[in-house]
Amino acid sequence: MKTPSNHRSLKLLILAAMALTVSMVLVACGGGSGIDEGASNEDVPTAEGGEASGKVTISNWPLYVDPGKDGSIAEYQEKSGIETKYIEDVNDNNEFFGKVQPLFSQGDAGGRSIIVVTDWMAEKMWNLGYIQKLDHDELTTVFDNLTDDLQSPAFDPEREFSVPWQSGMTGLVVREDLAPDIKSVNDLFDPKYKGKVTMLTELRDTVPLVMAGDGVDPNESTPEDWTAAIDKLQKAVDDGQIRRFTGNDYVQDLAKGTVVGAIGWSGDAVQAQIDNPNINYVQPTQGCSIWSDNMLIPVGAPNTAAAYDFMNFVYEPEVQADITEWVNYVSPVKGVKEILEKRDPAIANNKLIFPTPEFTADCFDQPSIPGDEAQQKEIEQQFQDMLAG
Amino acid sequence: MTSLRQRLIPYWLLGPGLLWLLFFFVIPMYFMFELSLKTGSLETGYQLTWNWSNYADSISEYSTQFGRAFYYAGAATVFSLLIGYPLAYAIAIKGGRWKNLMLFAVIAPFFTTYLIRTIAWKTILDDSSIVVDALKFLHIVPEDGRVLATSGAVIAGLTYNFLPFMVLPLYASLERLDLRLVEASKDLYANSRATFFKVTLPLTAPGIVAGTLLCFIPAAGDYVNSTFLGGTKQAMIGNVIQSKYLVINDYPVAAALSFTLLVLIMLLLMAYIKFAGTESLMGEEDEVK
Repeated sequence: MKTPSNHRSLKLLILAAMALTVSMVLVACGGGSGIDEGASNEDVPTAEGGEASGKVTISNWPLYVDPGKDGSIAEYQEKSGIETKYIEDVNDNNEFFGKVQPLFSQGDAGGRSIIVVTDWMAEKMWNLGYIQKLDHDELTTVFDNLTDDLQSPAFDPEREFSVPWQSGMTGLVVREDLAPDIKSVNDLFDPKYKGKVTMLTELRDTVPLVMAGDGVDPNESTPEDWTAAIDKLQKAVDDGQIRRFTGNDYVQDLAKGTVVGAIGWSGDAVQAQIDNPNINYVQPTQGCSIWSDNMLIPVGAPNTAAAYDFMNFVYEPEVQADITEWVNYVSPVKGVKEILEKRDPAIANNKLIFPTPEFTADCFDQPSIPGDEAQQKEIEQQFQDMLAG
Repeated sequence: MTSLRQRLIPYWLLGPGLLWLLFFFVIPMYFMFELSLKTGSLETGYQLTWNWSNYADSISEYSTQFGRAFYYAGAATVFSLLIGYPLAYAIAIKGGRWKNLMLFAVIAPFFTTYLIRTIAWKTILDDSSIVVDALKFLHIVPEDGRVLATSGAVIAGLTYNFLPFMVLPLYASLERLDLRLVEASKDLYANSRATFFKVTLPLTAPGIVAGTLLCFIPAAGDYVNSTFLGGTKQAMIGNVIQSKYLVINDYPVAAALSFTLLVLIMLLLMAYIKFAGTESLMGEEDEVK
């Protein structure tokens, strides 16, 4: 930057970059990747069972099990003798899909025996033929203990390819001392809370609740209903009603009181309440959205016998009780409540962790976006463009 | 006569750097450019269709976010310069034996990660924080107003995060400033103001150019500050690119946007150098020597 010759070299650099751009245009004439046509789940294999041994790799979301040396993964390793590599590399369904898709589309699981994704993503991967069928004979512990309400979700009525890891509710998380009258999703649109409301950046969490507020049944919804709900959100954004869209970080905003009402997750509310009793999960008058994150065995997964073994292990009520105690989401396993009643009554009696049928009476399964692929893309794009202001 | 070997030495020295550039800049750039002209989806694969409309569409659709990115980055650069120049001047000229300690203080925040530093600003600018109370008291922020989740917060975050990139080059050029020239100026009856504008500022112009570039270029592509400190109307082009890549999985448009950003920055940079960084400006210091 100091001498004339340096300046000349900067000019040269820019010229070189431009020359490169031009040459790239010329080179780019060739190439182009082939199309991977006819992806479907028609001929996906069933994961093989048998005696479990060797190594297993599991991809899960962060903070979804105690990964420490006294945690459930260490316990599994010790009990089974299977070398378990537990990686927390799922931060977001779409992002994870983008990461694994190039491998999965080639029938390569990238060394993963189990992955954990949310219902709609599980359905999407299954429809693309990336996921193996499950042999229920290998999963006796799982199906003996799976709770009744999770036996046949809309996206996989026979649990042909998915086993729930944890479930949860999306509803309202409210500062009850500052906004005691937020009871319905529609209350978030009340002008008196202008600029003190947040919603989730996850389209499938936020939009169905907004829709339900307008009396639309999310599971019977049309693409037009989704567009209308996003239009409603857009208007609220333009009016300054919605402060921002968030991931888990709405909890800090609630703790400080800069936000008084949010669309959020039940598990976060349990955690936040420990630090600030004024933060409470409120079941929306329209009901909540119920979702699960599911264990799947991708096509090309190594050591599927160990994958089955691990699934059975986490469905043992004693093991699951440890997981529930640690993560505070809704457990998909029967008999956990009874164990925790003795060990940790506060958790056993928390209706966010063990919701009663009355508590979730109006809730709905988190829906997939309706319509064909182009319509789905359009809805996703509309939502993202709203987020980009 | 120099031997062939001697003449080859510069190329050997350049070799590793050039290879690095080739593998980690030129080749990825080529693939990104190719990708930006494709159509298709992640599931079905992308085919090269010379789809230039990826550019036209994305530029017209996201001109707001492009504009915002340049506006925020520009504002942050100006504020960095206004804060950074006196700071660098104080350290370089008046620092004395505290020079190194003060320089260390400028760099010290880098010992914490970028993300943590940005999130810390959420606490600093929080609705009920002392800072915001003070701003309200001074009527800079209206009584029912807020700072967090506004453009002001994003610009503040960018300014803070890129300030060291401004201070260090400024310091380097101020440190080398020949104080005898300042004395000479005063001897010739120039007042402090004239001395500053006629002597100090022109001599440190290369530092200003370097600092503003180091500040502006990364700030224009940033998305972290607007994610955490912005609200619903503060997304920059970096946020759009991030969501196109990771949420929508629309790689061609994301690549087109990235390329457009690159070209726009390059054009701005060239215009800027043409305006501010003429040969005489860059070379003045040498003539003085």
